[in-house]
Amino acid sequence: MSPTFYPLASLSQIEKTPSRADGIPDDLEEDLRANGCKLIHEAGILLKQKQVAVATAQILFQRFWYVSSMKTFGIGDVGMGALYLASKLEECPLRIRDLINVYDLLSQRAAHSIGPKSSAEFKYAPMSYFGNTFYDIKDAIVVHEMQLLKRLGFNVQVVLPYGTLINYLRLLGLMSREDASTRAWGYLNDALQTPVYALYQIPTIVCAAIYLTTRHLQIILPSEPPHCWWELFDADWEDLWSVCGYIMRLYQERSEHERLRVVGMISKKGVRSWLEEHPSEL
Amino acid sequence: MNYVQLEKLGEGTYATVYKGRSRTNNEIVALKEIHLDAEEGTPSTAIREISLMKELKHVNIVRLHDVIHTETKLVLIFEFCEQDLKKYMDQHGERGALDPNTVRSFMYQLLKGTAFCHENQVLHRDLKPQNLLINRKGELKLGDFGLARAFGVPVNTFSNEVVTLWYRAPDVLLGSRTYSTSIDVWSCGCIFAEMISGLPLFRGRDNHDQLLHIMRIIGTPSQQTFDKMSKDSPEIQVKQYPRYPKQDFRAVVPKASPHAIDLLERLLKFDPAERISAAEALSHPYFTSANTTNTFAVGSMAPPSFTFPHPHGLPPPQQQQQQQAYSRQPNYMANPVAVHQMHAAAQQQQQAQAAAMGGYGGVPMHYNAPFGHNPR
Ligand SMILES: Nc1ncnc2c1ncn2[C@@H]1O[C@H](COP(=O)(O)OP(=O)(O)O)[C@@H](O)[C@H]1O
Ligand SMILES: [Mg+2]
Repeated sequence: MSPTFYPLASLSQIEKTPSRADGIPDDLEEDLRANGCKLIHEAGILLKQKQVAVATAQILFQRFWYVSSMKTFGIGDVGMGALYLASKLEECPLRIRDLINVYDLLSQRAAHSIGPKSSAEFKYAPMSYFGNTFYDIKDAIVVHEMQLLKRLGFNVQVVLPYGTLINYLRLLGLMSREDASTRAWGYLNDALQTPVYALYQIPTIVCAAIYLTTRHLQIILPSEPPHCWWELFDADWEDLWSVCGYIMRLYQERSEHERLRVVGMISKKGVRSWLEEHPSEL
Repeated sequence: MNYVQLEKLGEGTYATVYKGRSRTNNEIVALKEIHLDAEEGTPSTAIREISLMKELKHVNIVRLHDVIHTETKLVLIFEFCEQDLKKYMDQHGERGALDPNTVRSFMYQLLKGTAFCHENQVLHRDLKPQNLLINRKGELKLGDFGLARAFGVPVNTFSNEVVTLWYRAPDVLLGSRTYSTSIDVWSCGCIFAEMISGLPLFRGRDNHDQLLHIMRIIGTPSQQTFDKMSKDSPEIQVKQYPRYPKQDFRAVVPKASPHAIDLLERLLKFDPAERISAAEALSHPYFTSANTTNTFAVGSMAPPSFTFPHPHGLPPPQQQQQQQAYSRQPNYMANPVAVHQMHAAAQQQQQAQAAAMGGYGGVPMHYNAPFGHNPR
């Protein structure tokens, strides 16, 4: 794929993201990003949307936070705008009505899980025909689709890693190891919840997924300089290791408190009140 | 807005295009206005067009200069071209047919622009005379990328609703969703024949009728060919068709030279796998053989000569002159070496530009990241 179509964040954008500049600490931003991607994923499943559109949405969502702050834009709004946009890009457009309903359901469920009756079973209360919710959500989706386009300067072309993975596995002679390909595929999907697709080229990310796989399954590949298998694919060890770090951090145990605090920050209101309570973090 | 809107230039399937003049430097541009729908958000045609065209910088592709957002519409600012190929043929052709030198020049430029798209992994998917623009230098440029898309990962299945019927490839008519660059090559072939004869080559009423029109001329493919195509793209639907014999292209397009016929045959293969690529077509003897009024080195056929010192933003009185001059046939640069030098210089300039701007240009960019950035 021509690299011109695969823009990455710049060093300055990485060193200090807009959210960081607004006082949101690194680890919180990372968790909020992951939570937004989970939301996109869940909406995709409820809408029976194609995997390519969901993955594209997650990558656009990750790119967006290198140009915009979570204090200014809500995780949920941007996530749903990204899914709406990605579905157009991947030629499987969503009916906005369906997306509105799903977004409403996910918001209600999140509110329930941190509300006073969180131990009770969640029951979805469909939107009233006469209320404003429907139109408010519709506006939010349309506006955030436009914000994504504007702020990303229409850099919305995305390259997905799956074709490259199959290629590399074949070249490494691992195609017959079904456990290996399934596992590597899984790492690539999980990586969609991290910023790596906005930070590194596809070959690096695919090598990281294969590296984690071979380590887990104890598959031996040449890994001693000057004969390291990833160099076959022009991946740099430092970068590969950094991608592994992002992926592995996803699997770290979060405390109950950490889990719940991101759920309360699906809207920018939640982020803002957190910032008010934590002025020292700036 | 920084542009004065002038007369309407054309109306397409989803947008209206106006002539415009820049308030800052008087440059004449084309303003493509796209209405934003509060129900559906930004039209996907606009999303494709902008996201792909801002990367495609080539003489044979209409340059996107800028994008202006307002509450209710998106305005795309393009380089201005005199007219589209359809209107050009109507006005300059003899009952639509263009003279052989013009056909060769336009065909070369069409293939050049198409090859550039394909090199950059972009399918245009809607090549037809209305979407090809001609400026007064006789340069042909691909426009209207509203249906274009990037490709690369073969697992993708694409939309089947692409390309205006008359220029639609038979594999797409059969329902293929895994088509690739060959879909544009077919359209190039249709346009080639149309420039020579003045009439669209296959004028079907609907999907099925279009297939029959094609088969009546290039012949119904053998069962073997159908089987092979079904194997390549299992989603296609083959029905029963009358067994038409292949017609001799010399009878279909009598004005075409033997080299033109040979190229046409290679562009219009029923099986997409057999179709020539745009890049290969550029070195076909039709372009490279010495058997023409001018001689060209391989692959170095020049664009029409640059007879006009001020290509952009001419004030009205001069424009009158230009209009007259425009009706002349485009002719070729006499000296291929000079062309090479020109190309090299243009390329250098392009590269320097790309380096200076981190790859983005024209469209105001906020996500201002360098390409291939490596945080080492
Ligand atoms: N850059 C341009 N210069 C001059 N005329 C243009 C230009 N772009 C478009 N046009 C005219 O406007 C028409 C519609 O433009 P197009 O981009 O094809 O819109 P649509 O996507 O709606 O079909 C074209 O067929 C052509 O006649
Ligand atoms: Mg058009």
